[in-house]
Amino acid sequence: MEGSKEIKIQVKNLKKNFGRLEVLKKISIEITEGEVVCMIGPSGSGKSTFLRCLNRLESITAGEVIVDGHPISDPNVNINKVRENIGMVFQHFNLFPHLTVLQNITLAPVDLKLMDKPSANQKAMELLTRVGLADKEKAYPGQLSGGQKQRVAIARSLAMNPDIMLFDEPTSALDPEMVGEVLEVMKQLAADGMTMVVVTHEMGFAREVADRVVFMDEGYIIEENTPDEIFNRPKEVRTINFLNKVL
Amino acid sequence: MEVYNVLVQYFPSFMVALVETLKLTVVSLLCATVLGVVFGLFKVSGIRLLTLIANIYIDIIRGTPLMIQTMIVYYGLSQTLRPLGFSWGPIGGSFTAGAVTLSLNAGAYMAEIIRGGIEAVDKGQMEAARSLGLPYGNSMRKVILPQAFRTMLPSIINQFIISLKDTSLISLIGIHELTQRGKILAANSASRVMAIWLAVALFYLVICTTLSKIALLVERNVSYGRK
Repeated sequence: MEGSKEIKIQVKNLKKNFGRLEVLKKISIEITEGEVVCMIGPSGSGKSTFLRCLNRLESITAGEVIVDGHPISDPNVNINKVRENIGMVFQHFNLFPHLTVLQNITLAPVDLKLMDKPSANQKAMELLTRVGLADKEKAYPGQLSGGQKQRVAIARSLAMNPDIMLFDEPTSALDPEMVGEVLEVMKQLAADGMTMVVVTHEMGFAREVADRVVFMDEGYIIEENTPDEIFNRPKEVRTINFLNKVL
Repeated sequence: MEVYNVLVQYFPSFMVALVETLKLTVVSLLCATVLGVVFGLFKVSGIRLLTLIANIYIDIIRGTPLMIQTMIVYYGLSQTLRPLGFSWGPIGGSFTAGAVTLSLNAGAYMAEIIRGGIEAVDKGQMEAARSLGLPYGNSMRKVILPQAFRTMLPSIINQFIISLKDTSLISLIGIHELTQRGKILAANSASRVMAIWLAVALFYLVICTTLSKIALLVERNVSYGRK
């Protein structure tokens, strides 16, 4: 990491409990501008919960989460303003089924008065072209394949011009033949310098695109390093065991 | 056919009464929808006080007969509100009292329908809207409620049918709707009582059956992006 780059996300001693269940037990991490961080680990290890704490879709039990200088763990912070700057892509796409592809993309920027309708439409068309779906503007989500839905979901997030993109297992609900098209869009984003945190089971993607791979287990960060180190020279036993199972 | 004769002979006056019935139903249902949205949102708000208020309202309405509610509004409230300058019931219009009663009554059931509709929308929809930076209210209006309303539409039409039939009970306070018309006609020609009440029943039957057929049609067409 170059020292000149700004810290985008700073997490200090983050704890998250669901009732009496401790899902995250003291997570600390710093993510710098333009960095692509892949979170890997067994299911139930807390990766998705960690990601959802970064835009406060989950409340924070203890510790600090600072995104772009905003302490989002502070209940007084205007979370809506902070979220405008953090895109999120979900496993199950969560497109709005009652709206067309174009309306899905323009809803937030227009409703929040960040853009007028014509410029939002123009921007949406640019984004659709970028994700290879320029001909689908009038389609409803129900008429799209999984891969197409996820690409629209990415375009929808990008319409807010976020500095940071969070991906929560973006390819886990896809048929295998559609994984590639979504990963391709994500690679492009990474190449364009987007700060990305990606929870994924796609080890190939993590190896190829990530600047850093974080291995989580049982609510702790067990090991973090470059993909080369994590995949070729893992140091922790739990990392080794996990990688032996998935690779 | 005696029923036919009754229908033909009194058709104009039946139609006037029917319009009154429909007016009462539509006005009440519109108010009930507003009440239903407010209290339905209270129920899903996650704010304990609001949920409690909604629950009390719904329990009171569901736990008392419509007839008693009518009496309380028509006689009771009218008396209570008179010093404040409002009045209806025996002095003011019985239509107002009827509409208020039916609105309050249907509002409680609408609140449950709307709560159910909102809860049936996938949780991810709210999360996606919120993660884009939309505040809770905007997310509800633009994302959740439009989807909820589509799934609720058959239940709303069903409530319309129930309320339409409930107007019959409210004829008690002297609104000149269908049932009241039947009472007047029956009192004036006792020999044709059966035919008169069958004719009245026929009006309700035709409207309610049509509505429930519409509800069925709507139910089959709630999916998106297909025409």
